[in-house]
Amino acid sequence: MPGASSDSTSGALVPLLPEAQGAVVYPLHHGLTSPVSRLSISWSRGNSLRISVFASPSVNDSDNEDAGGKVVEVKLGGGDGEISDAHWRRITYGSVSPFALLQSRKNAASGLSKMSMNSSPYNVDWWEYIMEYSKDISALLGNQKSPSNPVIDDPESVIKKGQEPTSLKAAWELLEMFYAEKPSQSWLPERLVDWLADYNSLFSGTHPTVHSKLIDFQKELVNLQVVEDDPKYWEVMSSALAVGWLDIVVKMLRLHGSYQLDQLSNRETENGLVEAVAVLISKMPRMRLEQKAGNLGECFKAKPDFVKAWEKWRAQINKLDSSAFWFQCAHQQTREGLRSMLQVMLGNANSLCTATCHWIELFISHLLYIRPFTVGLESMYSLAQKCIQLKSVASAHRLMRLIIGILGENTEVVLAECSKGFGPWMVAHALELLTTGSDLAEMLLHEEHQNLGGISIEELHRLVYAEVLSSHPLTWQIAPIYLTSCVKQGMVLLQILLSKQPVQHNQLLFKNIEICRLYELDGISSNIMKIAGVYHWKHGRKGSGVFWLQQARDEYRLNRIAQQLFDSVGKTISDESFKQWEGLIQLLGSESKAAGGLEFLQKYRDFKKSLQQVHDGKTADATHQAVESLISLMKTPSTPQRFWLPLLYDSLKLLNWKDRPLLNVSQTNLLLNKLQELSMARLRPDFIEAELPSQALNSVRLALATNLGRAILEE
Amino acid sequence: MEKPVATLDRGTTCSAWNYCGERLAAGSVDGSLSVLDSRDPSSSSFTCSSKFKAHETGIVKVTWIPPEYGDAVACISEDGTLSIWEELVEGTQPLLWKLCKSFKTSSKVLDVQFGVNQTSLKMVAAYSDGFVKVFELLDPLELNNWQLQAEFQNVIDSVSTFGKASCLTASISWNPQRGEGQESSFILGFNSNTPQLNSSKMWEFDPAHQRWLPVAELALPGDKGDQVYSVAWAPNIGRPYEVIAVASQKGISIWHVGSTPDLDGRLSIEKVALLSGHNSEVWQMEWDMSGMTLATTGSDGRVRLWQSNLKGTWHEQAAFEPTSS
Repeated sequence: MPGASSDSTSGALVPLLPEAQGAVVYPLHHGLTSPVSRLSISWSRGNSLRISVFASPSVNDSDNEDAGGKVVEVKLGGGDGEISDAHWRRITYGSVSPFALLQSRKNAASGLSKMSMNSSPYNVDWWEYIMEYSKDISALLGNQKSPSNPVIDDPESVIKKGQEPTSLKAAWELLEMFYAEKPSQSWLPERLVDWLADYNSLFSGTHPTVHSKLIDFQKELVNLQVVEDDPKYWEVMSSALAVGWLDIVVKMLRLHGSYQLDQLSNRETENGLVEAVAVLISKMPRMRLEQKAGNLGECFKAKPDFVKAWEKWRAQINKLDSSAFWFQCAHQQTREGLRSMLQVMLGNANSLCTATCHWIELFISHLLYIRPFTVGLESMYSLAQKCIQLKSVASAHRLMRLIIGILGENTEVVLAECSKGFGPWMVAHALELLTTGSDLAEMLLHEEHQNLGGISIEELHRLVYAEVLSSHPLTWQIAPIYLTSCVKQGMVLLQILLSKQPVQHNQLLFKNIEICRLYELDGISSNIMKIAGVYHWKHGRKGSGVFWLQQARDEYRLNRIAQQLFDSVGKTISDESFKQWEGLIQLLGSESKAAGGLEFLQKYRDFKKSLQQVHDGKTADATHQAVESLISLMKTPSTPQRFWLPLLYDSLKLLNWKDRPLLNVSQTNLLLNKLQELSMARLRPDFIEAELPSQALNSVRLALATNLGRAILEE
Repeated sequence: MEKPVATLDRGTTCSAWNYCGERLAAGSVDGSLSVLDSRDPSSSSFTCSSKFKAHETGIVKVTWIPPEYGDAVACISEDGTLSIWEELVEGTQPLLWKLCKSFKTSSKVLDVQFGVNQTSLKMVAAYSDGFVKVFELLDPLELNNWQLQAEFQNVIDSVSTFGKASCLTASISWNPQRGEGQESSFILGFNSNTPQLNSSKMWEFDPAHQRWLPVAELALPGDKGDQVYSVAWAPNIGRPYEVIAVASQKGISIWHVGSTPDLDGRLSIEKVALLSGHNSEVWQMEWDMSGMTLATTGSDGRVRLWQSNLKGTWHEQAAFEPTSS
C-alpha cells in the first residue's frame, strides 16, 4: 500500500477516508518487554492520536529495569513515502497561496455571476485561472522535465537522467491535462505520450517497462562490440519506438555498425536502409501544439494538415517496407529488426503488443500508431480496457488506478484514488480541477450529504486536509485558510483548533490571537486570553495575568483579583507590604477603560493609612484627611460598586465621630445616594455580596442618617 | 509509523493529556502522580517535570480541569476518593503542585468530568451507589471552594424503585460545545447490577428551575438494562444533530440526538450504527476534534478507528495492535 510508509521518524501515516475492505491492522511498536495491561488513547490536535501503553506490573519488580509504559503518537493520513517530510512541508506551504488566490477569484466570479444571471462563471478567464493554479501547484511538486541536454553529450548514453520523478507530480499532471486543459482535447494523446516519457520509470519498480529495458540495455552497451548482432538492441529500439521516444530510437540506430567509416563501403545498402528508417522516424507527423526543442517528429496543430501528412508518411513506410532493397541486405538481424520497426510504425497490433511491457505503454502505442485521431474519453477508456486485458498485472500502480478513474469519467473513483494513493493534500487541491467545467462533477462535489450532517464532499476533503495540517506545529497556522473555505463546518473546526493551542508561549499566543482577529472570532480570542491570564496569574506572573485578563475583559476573574488585592491592602497597610502590590495596582489602574480598574486602591491605601492614624489617636489632621479620602474614593467612578459597603463600614468611626459631624450635608447626601444605589444593585442577579456582618448595611445607614441630622443642625 | 513521545514510570496505571496536548499527567499504582512536559512547543518529547504523592492508594483515573481554571487535575484513587491538585506559585514559594480539595464519601467515586459554560465550572461525579453529584466552583481563581448543586440517580423516571445499587464503573461525557446560550448537558452510563441505572442518559440543566433533567435515554427498549462501559459525546462542527457513542456489552452504538425536545421534554434519538470489534469490554472512546473519527480501546488490547462513509454507514477504518518487537 503506497500510503503506508516505512518512514519511522515522521510518525505517519494511515490512509484515511476511502472505504477499506475490512480494517487494516497496523502493528504499534512500543518497545516494552513486559506484557501490556492497558491502553489509553487521546486525540491531540488534528489527526494525531496518542496512545499510552501501560505494562503489567511484573512479578519480580526489582529485577526489571523496563519502563512502566510508553506513549506513542500515530498520525492518520497525509504523507507520501516517496517524498521527504521537508519537501512535503514545502509543498504544503507553497500550495497555500495558489489555493487562496483561486478561492478569492472564485468568490469574485460567483459574485459577478449573481449580478448578471446568464453568464457562466466558466468563461475564458476562468480557464486561465485554473491553469495558473494548476501550474503553480505543479511547480511545487518538483521539476521533472530534464532541464536541458547534458553538458557532455555522451554518445553511449541513450537515456538522460533528470530529477527523480515522483508519482505525486505525475498524478497532478494527469489531472491537469484531463481537467484543466480540457478545451484542448485533440492534443491529449500527445500529452499522454509526453507524460509517459517523463514518468515511465515510476512503474519499473514492480514491473518491467520500456524505461527499465533501456536502462538494462545501456548497462550492457559498453560491453558490446557489434550492437546490431545483439537481438536486444533491436528489441529495445522497437519498444522505445512503440511509445514514441523517437530521439532515443534514432540515436540508437546511429550506433549501428554500418555507420562506421571502415564498413560504410561494403554495407552500403544496409546502411541506406538503417538511415531510411531513421529518417522516417524523425519525420513522423505528430498532432501537437509544439515540439520540445531538438525533439524529432513534425508537428501539426490542425487536424486536416496532420491527416494529410500522416497518410503521406504511412505511404512512405509502406513503400519502404515493400522495397526490393531488403533482399540485398545481408545482415539478418538488421533486416528483421528494421522491418519489425516498420511494423510498429504501421500500427501492427501484434508488433505493438510484443514491443511494449506495461498496459499503459501498449495504450500509448495504440494512440500513436493505430488511433492517432482518438478523441473523447469514452474511446480512450475502452482502449485502455482492451490494453489491460492484453497486459494484465497483479497489482495496479496507484497512478494506473487514477488513469482508469479519469478515463472512466467517474469523479468519485478519481477522488477515491487520489485520496487512497496520494493523501488528503492531493484531494483537497485536486478538487479545484475536478469541478472545473463539469456541472456534473460540481453537483456531485457540492451536494450536501445529510448523512454527514449536511456537509459536501468538497468540504469534507478540505476538513480532512485541515486536520492533517493541524496536527503539526509547523503547519497548523495554515489550516485556517482551508477551514475558512468551508462555509458549512469549517468555522467551528477552526474555533476548536484555536482553542487547542497552548497559551504559555507568548509568540504562539500572539499568532493565535492574530488569527482570531483575522476571522473575527472575538469569543475565542477572549477565551484564549482568559486562559493565558489565569495561567500567568497562577504561575506567579501576576502582572501578565492581570494584563491578559484585562485584554479578555474577564470582569468575573478581575473582580476576584481586585477582591484579593483589596483584602490584602486592607489587612496590612505597612508600606513594605504595599510595595509588593503597588506595581500591580498601577497596572490595573493604567487602563481605566478595561474591567477591574484598580487605581482606587491607591486612594484606598491612603484612606486606610489615615484611618489607622485616627484609630491610633492622632486625630488632628488625620480625621480630616480620612474623610477627604473617603469622599474622593466614593466619588471616583473607578471604585467598583462592591467595595462601597466595605469602605463605608470601615469608616463607621468617622461617621459616628463623637465631637462633631465630620461630613457636611452634601458629603453625607453623596454617601446616602451611594448607599441607595447599592440597595438597588443588590436586587440584580450579578451582584457580588461583600463578606461583611449582616448588620453592616444597617449600621452604615444609621450612622449616615445620624450624621446628616447633626450636619444639618450645624449648618 | 508510530513515534514514541514519552516513557512512563513503572506502575503507571492511567494517563491524561491536557487541553492542548502539551502536558501529560500519569497516575501510578503507588498513589503518585507524574506530570510530563516538553521543553519547547515544537518538541514532541515529554519528560517528567514533577512527581508527587497524591493518594495513599493507587490512582485509577486522572482528568485535567479546563484551562480557564488553571493547570489542575482531578484524581480518583482505588479507594474511591477524589482529589484536586493544582500547579501554582504562592507568595515567594517556587512552583509546586498543591492539594486544593479532597472529597471523601462513603461510596466510591467512579468517574469525574468537568464542564465549562460562560461563567462557571461544573464537576460531575458518578458514585458506586449509582448517584450522581454535580458541584459548582464558587470562586474562579480558587479550586478549593465547591458547592454541591445537585444530587440524583441516573434514572429516567424518578418513580422507579430498586434495591441498593452496586456499580463497578461509570462513564461521563460532557457536551463539548459551549456556545452562547448553550445549556450545560452531559451523558452518563453505569456498569452496575441495577438495570435502571445502566443505560446512558443525557442530562441537561434547566436554569429556570435550577435542576437537572433527563432529556434522552440512549438505549433501545430491549437494551435498557445493558451495562454501559463508556460514553463519548462528539464535537459538533455544524451538524443539525448531536452524535454520541455508547459502548455496552453488545458493542459500540452510534446515536444521533436531535436538538428540539418533544412535549415531554425528550429529544429525538436514532441509533445509526452498532459496531462490533473489541468483542469484550470497551475501556475508552475518544472523538477527534472534528467529530468524524472515533477511536476506541478495549480489553482485546487493540485501538480501533471508526468512521462514517458518505452514505452514513459506519465502519472500522483501521486498527492498531501493540507489539513489543
